Amino acid sequence: MKNIKALAGILLFGSLWGFSEVIIGSAIQDIGLPSGIIMTGVFAIAFLVVSRIIYRQPGMQFGMGLVAGGLRLFNPFIGCHLCSAIAIMAEGAIFELIWYKISFDFSELKSNIMKSSMGIISAYFLYIGGYIVTQILTPIAAGANFYIENLIVFMPRILSSGLFAAIIGGAILPIVFLAKDIKITLKDRIYYPTTIGITILCWFIVVGNWFFT
Amino acid sequence: MIMGKEKIIPILALIVILISGTSTAYIYITQTEKDTIAINGEEYTIEQLFYIGKIITIQTTEGEKTGISLEDLILKIGISCPTCFEYTIKGNDGYEKTVSWDILNTGILTDLYRVYFPDTPKAFWVRDIIEIEVK
Repeated sequence: MKNIKALAGILLFGSLWGFSEVIIGSAIQDIGLPSGIIMTGVFAIAFLVVSRIIYRQPGMQFGMGLVAGGLRLFNPFIGCHLCSAIAIMAEGAIFELIWYKISFDFSELKSNIMKSSMGIISAYFLYIGGYIVTQILTPIAAGANFYIENLIVFMPRILSSGLFAAIIGGAILPIVFLAKDIKITLKDRIYYPTTIGITILCWFIVVGNWFFT
Repeated sequence: MIMGKEKIIPILALIVILISGTSTAYIYITQTEKDTIAINGEEYTIEQLFYIGKIITIQTTEGEKTGISLEDLILKIGISCPTCFEYTIKGNDGYEKTVSWDILNTGILTDLYRVYFPDTPKAFWVRDIIEIEVK
């Protein structure tokens, strides 16, 4: 039963994350702001950490990345569906690796310095990790060759690009952790229809956009 | 164990900020600004390239894009065996992508110094080009 609840949570939070990437991320980009940095520093960190706090299940955030990346493939607004979908899937996996040694009662993250530090580390490695994985897998998935020298030459730019995501992550994580004190208990008869309903709504809006734009 | 993490995590965060900050300073210092594009070792202005190459329009995932045909350009600057080489397209920010002739010959170079290809992800659309290396 616990596994089914977690599965519903993966679908819910993965869909919310993917929905944010497609709809909000595109809107942020349209007004000229760096959508990738904001999406990772704010939305990815928030959804990943909140789901970790609520469900306390290892592997769940990787699943969320797969769902969000899958939803991103339907993005009608930006040409490169594949790059960002790969990056999101990688972000879920990287988050699992970073948080692997952090206990599920979060006893290590009591002070704001620790929370901010984890926010900096998580947002930075999510951002540059997603960037690097994209640079490697996109040419391969597109049927072209991957050239390591192309990546090496561009590494200073990639390492630099994560700076603002790291700063945002450091500011956001202590705020996200306020959710730890919120207790919401939903009975199964409400929990499942709610999670599935929101999930379907997210997919409906994104796929609907794909058809109608 | 928890005490260890309480020291290691803030130190790692500080290292992250130092690495990204140093990288930002490095790319700011080494940024290349020039108006010409080097192709196979020869420098060309964008006007010269538009005079040499045939202007075509291609369909991309971001709509129609117009520029000079890279296929025509490479042939006209004297690369006699274009299929024998690979082509590294370099931007002024250090970004570069190496492509085969099969990909390059479908692309265009616009007057905004950017290449587009009809059938590749956006990651191949290098901006602010300063060089096309033939190797």
